[in-house]
Amino acid sequence: MRHVTQLATAALTALAMLLPLGATAQDGPLRIEITEGVIEPLPVAVPNFVPETPAATEMASQIARVVTEDLVGTGLFREVPASAYISPVTSFSAPVQYADWKAINAQALVTGAVSKDANGRINVKFRLYDVFAGQEMGDGLQFSGTEAGWRRMAHKVADAVYSRITGEGGYFDSRVVYVAETGPKDDRRKRLAIMDYDGANTQYLTDSASIVLAPRFSPTGDRVLYTSYETGSPRIFVLDVASVGRRELPTAGGNMAFSPRFGPNGQQVVYSMEQGGNTDLYSMDVNSGQSTRLTQAPSIETAPSFSPDGSQIVFESDRSGSPQLYIMPASGGEARRISFGQGRYGTPVWSPRGDLIAFTKQNKGRFHIGVMRTDGSEERLLTASFLDEGPTWSPNGRVIMFTRETQGAQGQSSLYSVDISGRNLKPVRTDGGASDPAWSPLQR
Amino acid sequence: MHAGHVISGSGHALLIGWLLFGSFSIPPEPAVEVTNVALVSNEEYAAMLAAQEPPGAATEVEAPEAPEADQAGTPEVSDMQDAQPEQAEPEVTETTEQDAAPEAPVPVPEPQEVTDTAPEIAPPSEDIAALPPEPRPEPDAAPQDVPRVAPQPVARPEPDVKVDEQVQQPAEQSEDAEVEQEEQEATAPEEATTEIVTEAEEEKSLAPSVSKRPQARPEVRQAAVEPEPEPEPEPKPEPEAQPDPKPEAPKQDEPDAVAAALEKALGGGESETPAPSGPPLTSGEKDALRVAVSSCWNTGSLSSDALRVTVVVSVSMQEDGRPNGNSIRMVSSSGGSDAAARQAFEAARRAIIRCGASGYDLPREKYGQWRDIEMTFNPENMRIK
Repeated sequence: MRHVTQLATAALTALAMLLPLGATAQDGPLRIEITEGVIEPLPVAVPNFVPETPAATEMASQIARVVTEDLVGTGLFREVPASAYISPVTSFSAPVQYADWKAINAQALVTGAVSKDANGRINVKFRLYDVFAGQEMGDGLQFSGTEAGWRRMAHKVADAVYSRITGEGGYFDSRVVYVAETGPKDDRRKRLAIMDYDGANTQYLTDSASIVLAPRFSPTGDRVLYTSYETGSPRIFVLDVASVGRRELPTAGGNMAFSPRFGPNGQQVVYSMEQGGNTDLYSMDVNSGQSTRLTQAPSIETAPSFSPDGSQIVFESDRSGSPQLYIMPASGGEARRISFGQGRYGTPVWSPRGDLIAFTKQNKGRFHIGVMRTDGSEERLLTASFLDEGPTWSPNGRVIMFTRETQGAQGQSSLYSVDISGRNLKPVRTDGGASDPAWSPLQR
Repeated sequence: MHAGHVISGSGHALLIGWLLFGSFSIPPEPAVEVTNVALVSNEEYAAMLAAQEPPGAATEVEAPEAPEADQAGTPEVSDMQDAQPEQAEPEVTETTEQDAAPEAPVPVPEPQEVTDTAPEIAPPSEDIAALPPEPRPEPDAAPQDVPRVAPQPVARPEPDVKVDEQVQQPAEQSEDAEVEQEEQEATAPEEATTEIVTEAEEEKSLAPSVSKRPQARPEVRQAAVEPEPEPEPEPKPEPEAQPDPKPEAPKQDEPDAVAAALEKALGGGESETPAPSGPPLTSGEKDALRVAVSSCWNTGSLSSDALRVTVVVSVSMQEDGRPNGNSIRMVSSSGGSDAAARQAFEAARRAIIRCGASGYDLPREKYGQWRDIEMTFNPENMRIK
């Protein structure tokens, strides 16, 4: 190593000496290369928004709170506590005292104002500042909505801030549909529930008369596919989120139909069906109800998930003897295996960005949520526990939510989320037990 | 008469003595188990005692002393043999230690097992591979799940130390100062690790310490401890995981060395330029600047697209070592979209301004050399953390 360095130095020095004129011409700046940095939460200050009408006072601080919680909850930001503030923000239009915020190391500053008009509508506006550069990041934005929708407006502010700083889309103004669970393990009641991504505003979509499984959002977030046992055997239903109306989808015969998922155009549903002891994948046109068989193997094929462009499907199959992940064209055809590590792989889900596939892995009695590239390379396990399963992607492909179940007769299911870097693993707040989460796209 | 008195006196004295001694025989009676001891052989009883509760024996011995007075009148004393078990008991407690050692092998040999394992088990290459990294992580510098990832790990600060928003320097006494300064603690650096550790990886690193002991026991004892096969497969995955980081390290070194050589050479070239002021910066001075900027270059909040962009940023410096914030420009970018490049540039700009807020430590006499600086921010290494 030394020799290489010395040789290189000698050679390059010689070169440099041969080119004195060139070097002189470069009479320029000092050049250095930075290749090592730090990864740490970015300190952000979100002072209480300024209430521009007296009626908006309480909402102004609540909105600032939700914005802060959204940002800090990503693990990419850290809150600069209000106790450290040097100068309070009393007016939305007053110039920002950058020095005061620099002094407390607030690298980003969000200021905002809230007003309530005569019709009871809430207006929220905000500005984002890069404190150390001493300038605003992007233009100010304004949202308007009903008083009941104030949390959504806060999420939208946070999405905009997140997006401007990180350069990728936000995910705060989104919802999660899941199976709410009550009762002991041997007599568990299950019903579909929908909530904001952060656990607020829970609503129940079905009663607990029959078992429901694996809800999945449509690409526009207005419909939910799920599997229900209400006819005795598992069948696929589609439910309209707004009206809570539902209907059974006409699957192509068979005893059991399950594991449905929408294609990216919302017109196509891919699902598993068991027929004569063999389970294969089928694709259905939602409007016509026509199903097409995609796989013909004597093994079990299930858990299909479309690529974001709709051209391919990743699924789970035990055709090699143990459950592994495979990718095939969306119209069916030859599948190629992508998982080759130890253990069993299941429930693959294609990232909305298209670059990664999340999966559940069982190995040596432990369960993991992991990600791999679509060719199976760069497998990375993000979690490890007694039972983790059923990953779902945030709309921006940065976070994975999944079910974690604790051991024993008193074991509880709950939802967890983790950043795709493996950091920021944390429980998601739900009312009671929860499993099988599915993340919606960003709301419009 | 005297003889009669003597005989009578000594006879009574004997009788009283017997009464007194006899009284000892009463208390053991309630402890019925004592008679059972006679049925069991002495060695067996000793073994039982050793296996159970040695302290129990001691309490039984003490108990008899208290009731002395109560039993003075009761003359049920005839059993002289009863007195013997009494003596036997204390003996038993004493002998237990000797007997227990040979007879009850379970508790004693354990320490020997442990000492045996170290030499015997260490040689297998798997364990050796697993061991070396362990000692390093164990101090606080271990890659743990800490919110901050930096090139140099920082141990967790003492609980009573302040990690604050406002960075403070420790107060120093200055001779010409008139006002006495309050004592002030320096702001502690925030705890940091060198790489991201996922939950799955955390478990892996714990595995060796758990799996080593079970592996040792069956080999040494060759006893009927059954879980032999289970622990063995466990250590295998660790070496698999280990090799990954190792080969990576040298890779990073090579370009560094070449880059260092390049810089040396280039630095030499620059020295010949008719720069108006001062000799060129030494590589040490350049390194100091590089390290200073690195410590503020936070890539944690960058999108994965922005992490693929290398940006070249120019900045002009003031003579006091502080960057001129308005002069910071993106000279060029490569590897990503314009939007991604903008985020990458903004992170770089924050780094330059933040860490230069109190002035970079640059030699003033060489100001001409560092008045204008071009910094290349290459996030390649940050992507793999």
